Amino acid sequence: MMCVRVAFRVIRPIDGAFLPLGGVKHLGSMLFWFIAIAITAIACAALFYAAGGRTVNVSAAETGDSNSHFRLVLAGIDADLAAGKLGEAEANAARSELAREIIRLKAETGKTVAAGDLGRTPLLVGLAGIAILAFAIYAALGNPNLPGQPLADRTEIATQSLDLGTAVARIEQQLAAKPDDVRGWAVIAPAYTEMGRFADAAKAYRRVIELSGPTPKLQTSLAEALLLESNGAGSDEAMTLLRAASVSDPADPLPRLYLAAELTRTGQYDEAATAWQGALALSQGTEPWLAAAQQGLAVAQNDGAPAGPSPGESQMIAQMVGGLADRLASQGGSVEEWMQLVRAYLVLGDKAQAQMAYDDAVAAYPKAFDRGELDSIALNAGLTLNGATP
Amino acid sequence: MSIELGHFALILAFAVATVSTIGGYMFWRRGQRVALVLSQGAVLQFVLVAAAFAALIQAFIASDFSLALAVNNSHSLKPLIYKISGVWGNHEGSMVLWILILVAFGAMVATFGRRLPSDLMTLVLATQSLLVAAFGGFTLFTSNPFARMVPPPLEGNDLNPVLQDVGLAIHPPLLYAGYVGFSICFSFAIAALISGRIDQAWARWVRPWTMLSWTFLTLGIAMGSYWAYYELGWGGWWFWDPVENASFMPWLAGTALLHSALVMEKRNALKIWTIFLSIITFSLSLLGTFLVRSGILTSVHTFASDPTRGLVILALLALVIGGAFFLFALRASSLRQGGLFAPVSREGALIVNNLFLATAVGAVLVGTLYPLLLDALVGTTISVGAPFFNLTFGALMAPLLVVLPFGPFLAWKRADVMAAAQRLMGAAALAVFLTILISALGGVSISLAPLGLLLGFWVAFGAIAELVDRSKLGRVPLGESWRRLAGLPRSAFSTAIAHFGMGVTVLGIVATSAWETELVTTLNPGETAELSGYSIAFDSFSQTAAQNYVADEGHFTITGPDGKTRPMIAERRTYVATGTPTTEAAIETYGFSQLYLQLGEPLDDTHVLRVWFKPYITLIWLGALLMAGAGFLSLTDRRMRIGVPKRVAHAAAEPAE
Repeated sequence: MMCVRVAFRVIRPIDGAFLPLGGVKHLGSMLFWFIAIAITAIACAALFYAAGGRTVNVSAAETGDSNSHFRLVLAGIDADLAAGKLGEAEANAARSELAREIIRLKAETGKTVAAGDLGRTPLLVGLAGIAILAFAIYAALGNPNLPGQPLADRTEIATQSLDLGTAVARIEQQLAAKPDDVRGWAVIAPAYTEMGRFADAAKAYRRVIELSGPTPKLQTSLAEALLLESNGAGSDEAMTLLRAASVSDPADPLPRLYLAAELTRTGQYDEAATAWQGALALSQGTEPWLAAAQQGLAVAQNDGAPAGPSPGESQMIAQMVGGLADRLASQGGSVEEWMQLVRAYLVLGDKAQAQMAYDDAVAAYPKAFDRGELDSIALNAGLTLNGATP
Repeated sequence: MSIELGHFALILAFAVATVSTIGGYMFWRRGQRVALVLSQGAVLQFVLVAAAFAALIQAFIASDFSLALAVNNSHSLKPLIYKISGVWGNHEGSMVLWILILVAFGAMVATFGRRLPSDLMTLVLATQSLLVAAFGGFTLFTSNPFARMVPPPLEGNDLNPVLQDVGLAIHPPLLYAGYVGFSICFSFAIAALISGRIDQAWARWVRPWTMLSWTFLTLGIAMGSYWAYYELGWGGWWFWDPVENASFMPWLAGTALLHSALVMEKRNALKIWTIFLSIITFSLSLLGTFLVRSGILTSVHTFASDPTRGLVILALLALVIGGAFFLFALRASSLRQGGLFAPVSREGALIVNNLFLATAVGAVLVGTLYPLLLDALVGTTISVGAPFFNLTFGALMAPLLVVLPFGPFLAWKRADVMAAAQRLMGAAALAVFLTILISALGGVSISLAPLGLLLGFWVAFGAIAELVDRSKLGRVPLGESWRRLAGLPRSAFSTAIAHFGMGVTVLGIVATSAWETELVTTLNPGETAELSGYSIAFDSFSQTAAQNYVADEGHFTITGPDGKTRPMIAERRTYVATGTPTTEAAIETYGFSQLYLQLGEPLDDTHVLRVWFKPYITLIWLGALLMAGAGFLSLTDRRMRIGVPKRVAHAAAEPAE
């Protein structure tokens, strides 16, 4: 039942909008200005209060520092003397030199005492200068209205340039970190189906059902994955799921279609026919599966034998086909007519004739461009294309 | 929005720095409140620039291609660590890193320098702010890292594959910490020149910063050297590339500064020279920055940049360096010269050190700039290569290394060179013995190698000899020696370790230069080559794909002289985003030696293989690590810290260094 599988495959490519988001949503430029002003205010406040901060006696600290430094040098001289690196006279000379240095420094420190304290006015002017400078330069250089665009947030890329594999890999990474992310599982499950990774798809659907509870759609999708995974062998669990789904969602043809196909495959034709009819009853008349469902219904009603034309009809068709073939062979015809002929032979199950007709058509229309659909029909029917086996 | 907030933070930091500069220079005599405001300003600048830097990192991690910098230097498939390090693998981002380290040092001065006199503090922080404002302005107005791209492209252009290495995460931050750290010494020098306050205490404040910067620079250069060695695939560890020289010159000058600041701290001499060196050292750091960014050089270090930028940074350089020297010329004569000392003394030895190092700086500077100037002025392109540097630099270093071990043995003020020589006899004898032994075992050839070995051993053993001598090992009971050794101040150990490290590096350089062997051959899977007792079997060739590159891999099995086998994998990678190939050499360490394998481009199904055996090459970097370790050890010495030593009683028990 390959045709059934293809017919019902629901192709749901990953929509970029559903990709997990990595960053924060964009915020307006209002917020930016608010934060920028806040930062500037905090910075200026920090500078302003620093000026009124600790009041340590500076001069004491300074002399304290240099005194201790000189004590250390003095200790060094004594130690050198003790270690025999310096003679007594040299040590005395070094000590007196040190004393002169201290006296000189004391005198200098006296001269360069602070020339008054910093007033409040220069400080405020400075702070205002910082704020003005910062905002003026930013106004000239910045782009406050331009949001950040981390790759993970850019849906247009997700749909445009990400192939399915990359997108799936990215979601898998996210799921490894957050295995309870329902949305991630829900996005990745149909992608797995699309990629032919049916076992993974089934696992993902199961996870979604575990996390968010069963819905008819999820049950159908899980059943679909299970059936595809079984590769035509069927699955009892899938049947249970499909029955449950068709009961709880009477408006969805999909579970009925799968149910019908499976029932047909297993030879339960009565039940199958009911299911086919149920699905067809829900049809809008334009669905791609319509033809397959009608054919399936016919098979089921016919107790498994493929529905074919009656002997009388067959004879009539054969005559018509023969006439067309003769006319095309003698007078030639349009591509559409050749197409009709090939299709007719194929419906009659005469593949050899179909191949001959196709070969004649190729001879009449050597350019593939002119043949249009004819090649696809031949390809689908398994004919030898243009001298090359597909 | 975080990008724009980062942008604003950088601008605000620039504004704070600008106002701090003006305010600091205007009101530095106004006492403590100005110092407090500027300290707060320094901390603020750090917080703001750190926020800006974090915003850039965030944009790179999120592959936000609305940021032009991320478009040009990132790619969504890049591993996370290279997304982060890619922030500074380019001109604009590395400027932000440069400024971040600059403000980090400023904030450190503000935090740890509470005991500094307020006028000195104000002037130092004002000068730091001037540098932040200058380089922040340069960054914002000529090479804004926060430039946006509308509409954002779908994918970035990726980072230069050569830079996609852990080296980029380590080498620039360390190197910049070294370069930029010297800005503190520069700021202290400017503050001293303006305030006229220059004394031993000043040297005590400056020396830890010099030590810290020098330590980082040592690590940064060593790391860069090792990175070039393993990444560029030529097996060379130093190329005398102008940019390498640009990092080496501040190191030489910084080494000189380290020693002259010592003289100034202990003996109150060499004041003006120390100030001069502080200015020179930072100026050379700026020169390095200029060379990398001006676009006048082409090397792995240079960033594509336009000439305007080069002109602006040249103008900045002229302003900062020219201004500093102008100030120096104005004020130096009014500074009081320090104490007197005999030529043979610790001071004398340190001056010899300074003379040789300064001359070496001059030689490297000439070798680096002469071709550039000649090219710019006359249009003649000449190449000043390794031979020039090896000859001039080697000739300058050799005598320095000969006298190096004497230094620590000499007393301050006046010393007895014969007494020092006697104490060094043991080290000298050991060095000569080992050199003869090695030459005898390795076969004597007429070359400079034995002399180099002798120098290396002499420096290394001479450094240890000082510790041995001071612990009176062999002259007093072992327990007493141990007690004496344990009682030595950390500075004694750091001196010995740093000098020992120097010797180790010299040994590594000599050994690898003299006895390196090389083999270039075509080798196909299944075949075997031999080099220096190592047999290299080419097992298989395969192709693999990684996150953002595909690689040709050669799998080798090496059988060493000891008969043991080790696997090695040499790669040639092609990066997907740019299609750029890189060579990933395979390196295997045997003791201190290394075997270096490089797989060439396949030629008609045959593979060209280059193999080097590099004896004792790791000693080069181990020596540098020892030197840097000594720097850190020295910083843990209480007396090196900015604060006053608390353990005055203990310090008095040991002689000051």
